[in-house]
Amino acid sequence: MSIFEYNGCALVAMVGKNCFAIASDRRLGVQLQTIATDFQKIYKIHEKLFIGLSGLATDAQTLYQRLVFRHKLYELREERDMKPETFASLVSALLYEKRFGPYFCQPVIAGLGDEDKPFICTMDSIGAKELAKDFVVAGTASESLYGACESMFKPDMEPEELFETISQALLSSVDRDCLSGWGGHVYVVTPTEVTERILKGRMD
Amino acid sequence: MSASQSVKKIIEINPYMLGTMAGGAADCQFWHRNLGVKCRLHELANKRRISVTGASKLLANILYSYRGMGLSVGTMIAGWDEKGPGLYYVDSEGGRLKGTRFSVGSGSPYAYGVLDSGYRYDMSVEEAAELARRAIYHATFRDGASGGVASVYHVGPNGWTKLSGDDVGELHYKYYPVEAEVVEQEMAELPVT
Repeated sequence: MSIFEYNGCALVAMVGKNCFAIASDRRLGVQLQTIATDFQKIYKIHEKLFIGLSGLATDAQTLYQRLVFRHKLYELREERDMKPETFASLVSALLYEKRFGPYFCQPVIAGLGDEDKPFICTMDSIGAKELAKDFVVAGTASESLYGACESMFKPDMEPEELFETISQALLSSVDRDCLSGWGGHVYVVTPTEVTERILKGRMD
Repeated sequence: MSASQSVKKIIEINPYMLGTMAGGAADCQFWHRNLGVKCRLHELANKRRISVTGASKLLANILYSYRGMGLSVGTMIAGWDEKGPGLYYVDSEGGRLKGTRFSVGSGSPYAYGVLDSGYRYDMSVEEAAELARRAIYHATFRDGASGGVASVYHVGPNGWTKLSGDDVGELHYKYYPVEAEVVEQEMAELPVT
């Protein structure tokens, strides 16, 4: 089993009309054994910027702590929140610093940039950015997620429809992956509010 | 679990004998069917049904002869014969054990925990079925490679009957219903004056 599949994770982010949604599964496992069913994989950087970290859980937690540290310093110096594009470059730089001994993580970044324009991107474990206009996926269920998102996605969805779409894509994909699932966690972010929901899924 | 949610893991060898499937699906299906053939030939040659002891030994001897060639079979043979109920564990390493309770497969440690703590020799059929169902459910919850449907069969003097086949996704919410959270603070629209 590869080191990226040791803990198991499924992440997806989608763009809607002036909003975005980011969703993850809730399992923490040690290979085939499930340890926890309420493990957090999506973190808030500021009100309009979220990052999901898939891969090895210990690296995801450490990387998140380093990113929060860097963002807090940025906020103190610049007296404003970081734009999502800038944050993505920060993550990419931090990952490439460890080019010959990398963090075993694949991040998914989603945020609202200038004029509340939705921004999503993903990266590999050494910082290669991949921007997308529609959706990005990561984790052990990524192949199923690509298929589900490709068929279910429509551009310019409203927040309620976006929530339904991303939830169905996530739940149907994790049901085909034995290392992720055991519930779902979805954030839908618009310029005025953030809605956090827990999904009821198959617990096997 | 990923390939199919509805794989039949209990194989009906004949109307009074069942085999369970763990390990390689093809190996289990083929050799159980082969065992069914051998049991029928025994009936025709000896004018009486084969005992569970005999049937399990037939399978164990075949698997032993293929030892080291890569067969993967972890099975339980359950049946009813003149001596009453019989349960044997047989595997592709060549092992064969008689016992009163077994659990097999990657999820078996989790099932054993529930099975061993709830088992009594004098349980009723309903109690035993519910214990088995719970043991399978707990294995599917913790083990990534287990899931789908929890099938429960009963083997009695007149042969086997299927008692239930429950989707474990639904069993979870039946055993652990989601409770409505107590709302601490709720925002409400002010009445327009």
